[in-house]
Amino acid sequence: MQITFSLNHQTIEIDAPADITLLTFLREHLGVTGVKDGCDVGECGACAILLDGQLVNSCQLLAPQADGREIITIEGLRAADGGLTDLQRHFIDDGAVQCGFCTPGMILAGEALLAKNPTPDREEIADALAGNLCRCTGYIQIFDAIAATARERQAQTTTGERP
Amino acid sequence: MSPSRHGARYVGQPAPRVDALEKVLGSARFLADITLPGMLHARALRSRLPHARIKRLDVSPALAIPSVHAVITNDDFIDHGSYGFPVKDDYMLAHEKVRYVGDAIAAVAAETPEAALAGVQAIICELEPLPIVSDVTQALDDDAPQVGPDRADGEHPNFLSRSIVNAGDAAAELNVADVVLQDEFSTPHQEHAYLETEGALAIPTPEGGVVIYCSNQSPFINRDNVAMALGLPPELVRSIQPPVGGSFGGKDDLNYEASAQCAALALKTGRPVRMIFSREESMVASYKRNAMKMWVEVGAQKDGTLRVCRFRGLLDSGAYASESPFTAWRASIHAMGAYRYAAVDIDVTAVYTNNAFSGAFRGFGNPEVNFAIEQMMDELATKLDMDPMDLRLQNALRLGDHLPHGQKLDESVSLVQCLDAARQKSDWDRKRREFARHNASNEIKKGIGVAALFHGLSLGAEGADYAGATIRIDDNNRIILTSGFTDYGQGSRTVFTLIAAEVLGVRPERIDMLRPDTDTAIESGPTVASRATVLGGNATRLAAANLRHTLDLAAADLLGCQVAQLVRDEETYIGPEERPIPWEDIAAHARSLGLQLSAQGRWQAPSIHWDHNAGRGEPYFAYHFAVQVAEVTVDMGTGQVQVDDIWAVHDLGKVIFPQGAEGQVYGGIAQGLGYALSERIDYVNGYLQQTNFDRYRIPTAPEMPRIHITLLEDALSAGPFGAKNVAEPAMVPTAAAIANAVAHASGRRIRHLPITLEQVLLGRNLMRPATADRARRGLLL
Repeated sequence: MQITFSLNHQTIEIDAPADITLLTFLREHLGVTGVKDGCDVGECGACAILLDGQLVNSCQLLAPQADGREIITIEGLRAADGGLTDLQRHFIDDGAVQCGFCTPGMILAGEALLAKNPTPDREEIADALAGNLCRCTGYIQIFDAIAATARERQAQTTTGERP
Repeated sequence: MSPSRHGARYVGQPAPRVDALEKVLGSARFLADITLPGMLHARALRSRLPHARIKRLDVSPALAIPSVHAVITNDDFIDHGSYGFPVKDDYMLAHEKVRYVGDAIAAVAAETPEAALAGVQAIICELEPLPIVSDVTQALDDDAPQVGPDRADGEHPNFLSRSIVNAGDAAAELNVADVVLQDEFSTPHQEHAYLETEGALAIPTPEGGVVIYCSNQSPFINRDNVAMALGLPPELVRSIQPPVGGSFGGKDDLNYEASAQCAALALKTGRPVRMIFSREESMVASYKRNAMKMWVEVGAQKDGTLRVCRFRGLLDSGAYASESPFTAWRASIHAMGAYRYAAVDIDVTAVYTNNAFSGAFRGFGNPEVNFAIEQMMDELATKLDMDPMDLRLQNALRLGDHLPHGQKLDESVSLVQCLDAARQKSDWDRKRREFARHNASNEIKKGIGVAALFHGLSLGAEGADYAGATIRIDDNNRIILTSGFTDYGQGSRTVFTLIAAEVLGVRPERIDMLRPDTDTAIESGPTVASRATVLGGNATRLAAANLRHTLDLAAADLLGCQVAQLVRDEETYIGPEERPIPWEDIAAHARSLGLQLSAQGRWQAPSIHWDHNAGRGEPYFAYHFAVQVAEVTVDMGTGQVQVDDIWAVHDLGKVIFPQGAEGQVYGGIAQGLGYALSERIDYVNGYLQQTNFDRYRIPTAPEMPRIHITLLEDALSAGPFGAKNVAEPAMVPTAAAIANAVAHASGRRIRHLPITLEQVLLGRNLMRPATADRARRGLLL
């Protein structure tokens, strides 16, 4: 069916098959390969996207469900100057990346959390990542990267700088 | 950047992972992200029975489907695709028999994944069921169905290997020991659960060969297997490593099969062919950590001095040998723990069953035996009314001691320091006392437990131990570094980059550390056994030193001095006249002198010898020592175990890449946590019951304890800058430390992993409903 949606800040009008998942649609039809296929049953979070700002597993939606929505994938997450966001930079600086397969979903989960709760404690960070599996890092350095980003954004807010 | 106390500018200093940028941007191209024009999609037909004879295999109905382009069976390979090391008992596609649920029988290449599946389902495959053996203790019964290959030496065909360690007179010591304890333990299969499943992409070349992209651990072995199966000379097969989405020992055999299948289909169709496993296919078909049953006896004097360990291990290799003989050997070497004994009698036997198959997994036999021996130490401490930490300290291997195996430990032996640090950092003595008091009157109980370990570095007597590296300066003055080792997330590319930068005295940003490619890198054996840092690091160090020597000669020539008179200020070269020359000018001058700005390095591990018949010798050239302490809360109303804190003290010799070393420890502990508490694999009559992450529960973020890492640096002279291994040891003691903490909290000694609610509550596991459907459904059969 014909759908219109926003993908990484660009409006797309396209014919979307009704019988494939949004994950398959993004990867195979639109070439958005930062969205990963880890389990196809909504358990691992590697396919996570931001749908109208909410963290969702794209393997659990059908392609036409994108109609009228705004989707952000890792490819759409960039700083105003086109470079790394602060969270992406902290993922590098704090060692939150190993194999990198879960990383796009983790970063999007971090952004979804910080949008709702700009000052999360460790427990709130861990809970926000409950739907994103990582087999390499033991999550600890991912917690560190999100916490460091939250602190930095808070400091910028209080000093009047724009994040 | 300030030099550390070792004077190193880059080694041991904070540094970003060299491949982190593309990963946080989402632009890293994993195998499933590579799509090519005309590319076909492949899928394997897999066995729905655990043991059967292939009565009829007719692929013509699949070929009749218009978008199916080719179907292959074992007949499309040389010698039916027979492969495997050290035992050549597996096939790229099943030959005559299938031996486990998931065994690949045929492979289809089609225009779409859906058409490939339709092709698989159209194949006529008649299987005649054979009796199975699923219980490892029945594998060697006289009437057990034959799973392993025929053998001429009179051994049972299901017998795979036996590894022994012998010292002193164990029987006599057991007779005279003041205290003798005896117990049975078991550890289950474990799934690697890498987030990226297996797969391969094969591209036919104009000269009749094939280029393979595969997320495997060891591209050179993959190349050789594909060449052998297809009857191609190795130079016509090129294996290239894309980014790998986790491995942990798990991306060998099935990826070799996928590579050979895609290669055969690509040559047949003249088109690129890609195969990507679904999660269910990955879990059903891929090999696991070996399940193991263990019977342990230890004897000690009244004062706590250990005298003897007798250990019998039975290791489930499943349908094929894969790496199990090596795993069993490593298990036997480490079975008695990191202690002094007067006598040991160790025997670890590996057998075939119809439970899928097992192979390499982080720790490679040591997490299994550590779970048993470290609980025995605590049981012994209880029996002798000693503190578990004191008992370990009293018996810990020390510098100058001999291993029970006969090897003298003459450097980098830091177990006592690890124990001391763990005791102090965890506030052990206070907690042991206070928790005991608290638990006497509370249903929510607290416990603290310890486990120690030693872990042999690299392959040991398992095989030839060497590595090579190449380095060159290109026309833009970028430094191109190669290694035969794969970085599947553990960080070896960054380790090698930092080592080369340190030796050359150049910024790491100048270096491009390539992923392995059999056409450009030097074969370095498999990327296993936590050997990359030491083996690959040394090869890199030597390659960089050779290149540095060339540059130093050019600098001395340009500056009109001797090499010994050269001084460096960051990258800049300075001569006796104190005129600074930029590094680029030195490289240009070297070119003008006609010097070649490239070099190689090869490092051979120190020679060691193991006598397999006597069970004595020098198993490894060096050992990692470590201690972990776990603090837990146990709810005696529900049986729920929560791990609150883990203190991990590991001796790395020298930390090269701090962020990466800590990441290895965190990640290893997380895998140990899952092994201890939640990761459950059940084969019921050969059928796997957990086929996706909904039933196979790896630790999630909220389950992680606080982890406190202490890294010691007792340098190893053979290591690059003194470095040792860390990847495997990080997970070895976690389950044992947790089990000891649970026993401290609850008084329940849990000898069978995982530590389930019902084991904590009732002291035994409840039966669970089982079905063959799940594994079959996962394969869509």
